[in-house]
Amino acid sequence: MRPRKSAALAGYGVAAISVAAAAVVTRSLESHIFPTPLFFAAIVAATRVGGTGPGLAAVALSTVVLSYFFVLPLQALGVSTSPLPYVVQFGGPALVTCWFVKKRKDAEESLARARDELELRVQERTALLEAEIAERMRAEEAVQKMQADLAHVSRVLTMGELTTSIAHEINQPLMAVVVNGDAAMGWMAANPPNLEEARQAVDRTIAEGTRAGEIIRRIREFARKSPPRKAAVSVNPLIEETLGLMQREVARHGVTVHTKLSDDVRPVHGDRVQLQQVLVNLLVNAMEAMGAAAGPRELEITSANDTTGRVVVTVADTGPGLPAGEESRLFDAFFTTKREGLGMGLSISRTIIEGHGGRLWPENRPGGAVFHFNLPAMDGQA
Amino acid sequence: MNPDNEAIVYVVDDEEAARSAITSLLASVGLKAKTFASPADFTAAKRARGPACLVLDVRLPGVSGLDFQRELQASNDNLPVIFITGHGDIPMSVEAMKAGAVEFLTKPFRGQALLDAIQRALEKAREANAEIERLALLRERYAKLTPREQEVMQLVITGLLNKQIAAQLGTSERTIKIHRGQVVRKMQATSLPDLVRMGDKLGLPSPKY
Repeated sequence: MRPRKSAALAGYGVAAISVAAAAVVTRSLESHIFPTPLFFAAIVAATRVGGTGPGLAAVALSTVVLSYFFVLPLQALGVSTSPLPYVVQFGGPALVTCWFVKKRKDAEESLARARDELELRVQERTALLEAEIAERMRAEEAVQKMQADLAHVSRVLTMGELTTSIAHEINQPLMAVVVNGDAAMGWMAANPPNLEEARQAVDRTIAEGTRAGEIIRRIREFARKSPPRKAAVSVNPLIEETLGLMQREVARHGVTVHTKLSDDVRPVHGDRVQLQQVLVNLLVNAMEAMGAAAGPRELEITSANDTTGRVVVTVADTGPGLPAGEESRLFDAFFTTKREGLGMGLSISRTIIEGHGGRLWPENRPGGAVFHFNLPAMDGQA
Repeated sequence: MNPDNEAIVYVVDDEEAARSAITSLLASVGLKAKTFASPADFTAAKRARGPACLVLDVRLPGVSGLDFQRELQASNDNLPVIFITGHGDIPMSVEAMKAGAVEFLTKPFRGQALLDAIQRALEKAREANAEIERLALLRERYAKLTPREQEVMQLVITGLLNKQIAAQLGTSERTIKIHRGQVVRKMQATSLPDLVRMGDKLGLPSPKY
């Protein structure tokens, strides 16, 4: 503890020097001032710097110096009891002063220590919290990534279930391409060649080829794997595009679709592909439910603003309705009433909608099942 | 490809693109097409006389092509059908062929495949038409026979001898021989077996063995 030792030495030094200085000044100004205040100052300084030891030393030195120089008999070094009252008169308050200053010094020091300690602890805690927050964010990101991955897997599975319709959807323009190509050849081979008809056939070939490309682009967009991108999504065009994508599936199940899309539906903030996935899931479920049962096959999709600033989309079918008593399990993963399918659709749909700050809920009404979902509307008009 | 001005190809497909492509292809080889967006439109339309066939999309809104084929057959319409489908699954094509479809083409198909199928279908339609005409002709000839000659013809084709027919009808063998000569002449039969076949087509009682 070298520094401490040198600090103590400094304390004694201060005691000696300050007492000496007090003695010199007091002596030279003897007739103008009281003899004791400067010595008190010297004691305060010594205690302040060095603590109890130098303080007491300063008290002792001051007492000796005072009694030597300023108490009669002057400059008497011999042992005598006559200055005793002076010594007591000075020594008592000097000791009290020393004690007070020391106390105060201790209080200040412990306050400083407490402050330093507190600061240290705040720093430690802050670092800990920061680490915790970072960890939580990583976990949240991981969950989001897993959900996005799962949603993607589910989309790919859905595409698998829709293969027939997709193949048909693409074959349709391809057939037109090939037949128009053959027709163009026919017109050119005719005698005389009919170039105008051939040109028209080639025009149709180009248009249909473009259409096939557009269909593939839409499907790829739906099946793409990429982190969710949130942007303003207009609900009605999304519903219409989804119905376009599912047109063949609708025809295959002999389903009639009615849409009641409110013109003033406000846009929502979300990932277009994921929201489309929810629609596809709900539509596939509705069609499969109706395909399994006799009776009318009608599907109704509505969109509207509600009174709480949300956009509500409803998909209603005329199938056998939801399984009685199983409503609460509908949204469990791997719950399915279908022969094919993983039972992930509704579970993932609800996760997606809730991830968008909305709600997805079923309703069993006579003559079919109904699913609603709502999403917070963005400010501004559609 | 021999142009057949009389023949007509009906096309039922819900896609405008498919209809215009097929129409153009057929026109390029001189075939006339009439297109419809739905079976209902086709049923409502007036059909021309003459050889015809139907190009039918399997998947149509409202009713499936296979169901429509059955409907046609139930109403005794023997219009030859060529199916086209975007997704040819085997059970479906088997069902269609069993029900008498001329061809089952999976999209995308070559134009030539469709044209070949259409030629076969029209050939079938022509044969069916010729058969109907032949039958109408036979009915006409049969109607011109006297009641007694019709009786004689019915007995002749069951394989009875003149003598047996005479006994049954209570007349002379000679009279029967004259009636028989008239029947053969009026029916324009070349031989007894030919006359038997005619009787068969007319739905007369077949020979007893």
